[in-house]
Amino acid sequence: MTHHTSRRQMLWAMLGAWIVALTVGACSQAPAAPAPTTAPAAPTTAPAAPTTAPAAPQGAAIKIGCSLPLTGAFADTGVWVQRGYEQWAEDVNAAGGLLGRPVELTIYDDESKTENAVNLLNRVISVDQADLLCGGYPGTAAAAQMAVAEKNQKVYVSMGGHMASFSQGFTYVFGAPPLMGQWWYEGLYGWLASLPEAERPKKAAIFTINNPVGAAILEPMPEELSALNIEIVVNERYDVPLTDAAPLVTKAKGAEADIFFANGFFPDSVQIVKAMRALDYNPRLIAQGVGSIIPAWVQELGADGYYVFSGTAVHPSLPFEGISRLNDVASTKYNAPVAPIYFIFGYAWMQALQRGVEGAQTLDQTAIRDWLKANQISTVAGTFTFDERGLPPSYNYLTQVIDGKVELIWPPDVRTKDPIYPKPAWGQ
Amino acid sequence: MLYELAQSLTSGLLIGGALAVLSVGFSMAWGITHVLNVAHCAFAVLAAYLGYWALNRWGIDPLLALPIMLPAFFLLGVAMHTLLIRATARRAHDLGLATMVLTFGLGVVMENGMLLAWTPDPRVLKTAYSALTLRVGPVIVQAPHLIAFGLAVITIGALYLFAERTFMGKAVRAVWQQPMGAALSGIDLDRVTTIAYGMAVATAAVGGVAMSLLYTFDPATHLSWLVYVFLVVILGGVGSMLGSALAGLIIGLIIGISSVFIPLAWNNLVLSGLLIVLLLLRPQGLLQR
Repeated sequence: MTHHTSRRQMLWAMLGAWIVALTVGACSQAPAAPAPTTAPAAPTTAPAAPTTAPAAPQGAAIKIGCSLPLTGAFADTGVWVQRGYEQWAEDVNAAGGLLGRPVELTIYDDESKTENAVNLLNRVISVDQADLLCGGYPGTAAAAQMAVAEKNQKVYVSMGGHMASFSQGFTYVFGAPPLMGQWWYEGLYGWLASLPEAERPKKAAIFTINNPVGAAILEPMPEELSALNIEIVVNERYDVPLTDAAPLVTKAKGAEADIFFANGFFPDSVQIVKAMRALDYNPRLIAQGVGSIIPAWVQELGADGYYVFSGTAVHPSLPFEGISRLNDVASTKYNAPVAPIYFIFGYAWMQALQRGVEGAQTLDQTAIRDWLKANQISTVAGTFTFDERGLPPSYNYLTQVIDGKVELIWPPDVRTKDPIYPKPAWGQ
Repeated sequence: MLYELAQSLTSGLLIGGALAVLSVGFSMAWGITHVLNVAHCAFAVLAAYLGYWALNRWGIDPLLALPIMLPAFFLLGVAMHTLLIRATARRAHDLGLATMVLTFGLGVVMENGMLLAWTPDPRVLKTAYSALTLRVGPVIVQAPHLIAFGLAVITIGALYLFAERTFMGKAVRAVWQQPMGAALSGIDLDRVTTIAYGMAVATAAVGGVAMSLLYTFDPATHLSWLVYVFLVVILGGVGSMLGSALAGLIIGLIIGISSVFIPLAWNNLVLSGLLIVLLLLRPQGLLQR
């Protein structure tokens, strides 16, 4: 046995790996679920499945192509986007097709790698010569693909990669709906503004994950909280993996913050909530970033995860036409209790593209783009109009975990349950 | 400020214990058997899942499941060393690199196996004592942290006693310090390294259960846990059990202290700066001469 690589070299390599891991952690973008100022109105036309048998689609299939993370880190949610796309294609073909022609989806697996997503979209455009593009996921991949779509003058509907990706001067990209960190707490701000000032929290502690999603969520917070007369007493960022949540909690407790923002993902936020309970810190309101709207929050954290507020851009309880049917499909086809958020997202993005094609009555990309920018469209995620960036007016819903369910709290017209505020003591 | 410091130091110290027990097996395997087992934390995550499974399926606390897991993981380590590592060692030009590649592949296989078995959903271990706390003056000690620390003390203490007081332990130390000399003294290198490797994998089970008391986990978590292991080994020195213990505690303390006095986002900068200095000045680790 010989040992050519010295331990010293290996130790330096490990240190390098650690620094790389920190960098990757800081740059990675986990699935995010943000929020709006004005909620999309209910659709004027129903996207439900047809009740009378339409004429079968005829002619050459319209080719629609994209890539999604079907394996790797984002596969869990990427697969639900794929299912949304496929359900849409099935429904469209059953309803007579798009422009009377059948649609044919080609979805490549980008293995959760942004560079693959870019290469595969180029392939879809130049090799497969797809007629239409479907959007990628998550935000990092979508943001990178937006540039490819714009360069090739192809309409691209997706969640986008937060506000920065929609601020590049692109004209062919649409967020219908987008997943916008900057809008995450729009519903919360709206609901807090509706409270008498005396009932609002007074001091905020904000802890934000040190990555682009966290930065996007944090960006508007100082201004929004200031408008609500809420003083920010702690405002810090942390790296993941979060080794110890106790220092965060003791800082907030020491500053007597009565509203606590944990702008992070599931693992770090669970640690924070567990530390809050252990250190007996019970602010009047806990708001959380992305973690608390995923099913694992309630399944794994149980009652300790109750009463946490968050945001979302879509929800299976929204009153928009087509959502109840997607809930049924998710239940019968995939044994899911309700339609997962990314199933709804996928379906809505394809509907937005469909509205553009049907409105323009052509596959010409510029005509589709111009029609979408000039008209209001309806989807299972609501009704949208788009500005020059391809974004609808800012909106997001406020959610709260109550009795093990993610309930809609704000705006009032979509409320599924009254909020529990101030937060009850731990264990109650 | 005093309260924050005391609370953060206590918490950091206890977490440091968990990092130490997670890392000691990796360090042992590298120091004694020259195997860079980057799948070490995949074994730890496997143990975390088994503990989670025992609790949620049969109501058996993960701590009570450990006596079953320990011999099972030991045998797993023995089998792995006998079937994979030795075969690699016979052909490899550079054992460290070869086993790193081998165990990286093994880690990927294990991660995908766990994905199939338990899905990618993150898990949180909720035991009867998860929410229990102990108050020492103004400082609150979380029961899971204390138990994880206790597991570290018991495991590293037992390993230390094994190495100091038993014939096999002395043989293991001899192989670590001078393999050629140990072989000339009649020590069966294959047998000793296989047993040491089995013990290293068994400690991964303890480390996995200790970490699952503190952190959420999913099949991919082993990579982020491996990062902690690297830190401990860099600081503690390769193969040193007490070095691992001390390194874990120091890292926990550094995180605790720096969290109070500097912004949280600078924690890793401070830690990596200290490690760079240490690698330049004492590449052999804290306790080794």
